[in-house]
Amino acid sequence: MQFSNFQEFIEMGGYAFNVWSVYGMFLIFLTINLYGPLRKNRQIIRDLKRRYALNAQVPPMPARAGSQSSPGLETTVEERA
Amino acid sequence: MDWTWFHKWGSPKWFYELSGKWLPWLVGAMVTCLLIGVTWALLFVPQDYQQGLTNRIFYVHVPVASISLAFFPLMAMAGTIFLVWRMKLADVVVKVAAPLGAWFTALALASGSIWGVDTWGTWWVWDGRLTSLLLQFFLLLGVVSLRTALEDSEGAARACALLSIVGCINVVVIKYSVDWWNTLHQPSTNFTLATDQANGPEIWVPLIFMIVAVYLFFAISLILSTRNEILQREKRAQWVRDLVAKS
Amino acid sequence: MSAARSTLAGAVVATLRRDLLIAYKRKNDLFNPFMFFVLVATLFPIGISPEPEALGEISAGVLWISALLASLLAMDNLYRADFEDGSLELLMLSPHPLYFLVLAKNFAHWLVSGLPIVLVSPLIAYMLNFPEGAYSTLVLTLLLGTPVLSLLGSIGVALTVGLGSRGLILAVITLPMSVPVLIAGTLTVSQTLEGASLSGYLAIMGAMLVAALTLAPLASAAALRISVN
Repeated sequence: MQFSNFQEFIEMGGYAFNVWSVYGMFLIFLTINLYGPLRKNRQIIRDLKRRYALNAQVPPMPARAGSQSSPGLETTVEERA
Repeated sequence: MDWTWFHKWGSPKWFYELSGKWLPWLVGAMVTCLLIGVTWALLFVPQDYQQGLTNRIFYVHVPVASISLAFFPLMAMAGTIFLVWRMKLADVVVKVAAPLGAWFTALALASGSIWGVDTWGTWWVWDGRLTSLLLQFFLLLGVVSLRTALEDSEGAARACALLSIVGCINVVVIKYSVDWWNTLHQPSTNFTLATDQANGPEIWVPLIFMIVAVYLFFAISLILSTRNEILQREKRAQWVRDLVAKS
Repeated sequence: MSAARSTLAGAVVATLRRDLLIAYKRKNDLFNPFMFFVLVATLFPIGISPEPEALGEISAGVLWISALLASLLAMDNLYRADFEDGSLELLMLSPHPLYFLVLAKNFAHWLVSGLPIVLVSPLIAYMLNFPEGAYSTLVLTLLLGTPVLSLLGSIGVALTVGLGSRGLILAVITLPMSVPVLIAGTLTVSQTLEGASLSGYLAIMGAMLVAALTLAPLASAAALRISVN
């Protein structure tokens, strides 16, 4: 242990500003780059959920023989969103 | 030779599931290493006989700076894989690595210059290492802005992959030329790492913990962004629908 | 087209001739990079100081930076017009390797925009009180360095040729890549003034030129294939 009390630890031998600003930036950097993607992930999932629900609500096209109706509709909703 | 492992890497679904399993372990390991490293570095590392307690800055600066140097090789490798084998996942890596690399480089520059305040007496010195990092920062921003400018995703992906390869070669040339320029202009800066001084394990063991922690952080952040990108690109796939329905 | 033209050498010569002819017909484009170089170099004494000593010290850097900016400005019309009128696509459809055709286009472009700058540089250098005894080095380094700048810039232009408004992106991509050339050029000049032997420095610049000649057109050709799609 390099420090005998908490006050000394905060002062960092006169280099408080340099040391703590670097560690502070490091902390901010870690938080932004971890929390950012995590938040974005939740947001994407929320968006997709809404979009899928919206697509499900749109009544299916009058079925033509053997046609797949959903892709066409899906694109229109997605493009609007 | 069996190439299935290689094709598996081309499957976003496979990657998403596998990385989901790995993430908790990676995060656990990172937090452990980080706590040990930071506590050790801040509390127990002995004072440097010249720099006093500023040597604590190294425990952030060295890991971050060493990873910033790995970004262009990583992007060039992923870019080559994308251009040769058209592997979608490789393009995702090129895309998310560029901004992350810019973040890492910016932090390396900031911590380096704060360390320099004390040693050089000024915030910025045109030191060889700082200068080439700064140029690398600009190159990374160039890749990011090329991606933003070319909205078409297929063309943008190939253009950015190519620029990453060109940039990687260039970073090496820049590194050597800046060193050369620097030695001729200023005889020597006293930017010496802790390794130059007589040091024991109490100096470098915490450094290793920090390096491992930052490498893990790099991997985690890259994986998280890659997963987001995969979700957005594969939103029409059935497995994404199932996944969203479950959450 | 005659039979002779269908060989590779013929295609290269034809591309070269075509580009030079186009440049000759558009005299405005021919003149602009040159004017830009002179103008930028003129701004430095006004902005910094007209003192001969102060100017002499920075003159090599001023000339190199002006040349760098002028070549960046000139890069814009390397592929743009050809892209817009579709002749770039025709060029890529030709059976000859795109590498050599790109090289020919780059060479024509350098002859039009780079060479005049090299030729006028001693005059500007004199006005900036450039130290005597390094004039030949200056011209020689510019002669070796400006083609590298063009070749590197060509990659950036090829990557962005499809963009509607390019803005600053070309500069952001190209300028950091040009730093090694800038360093080599200015160091060679300053080391000559200190009496160092020139051959080593020129060898490095020559190596840069050779590396750029072999690698840059490859990258440009690949970039053109990506952009023109």
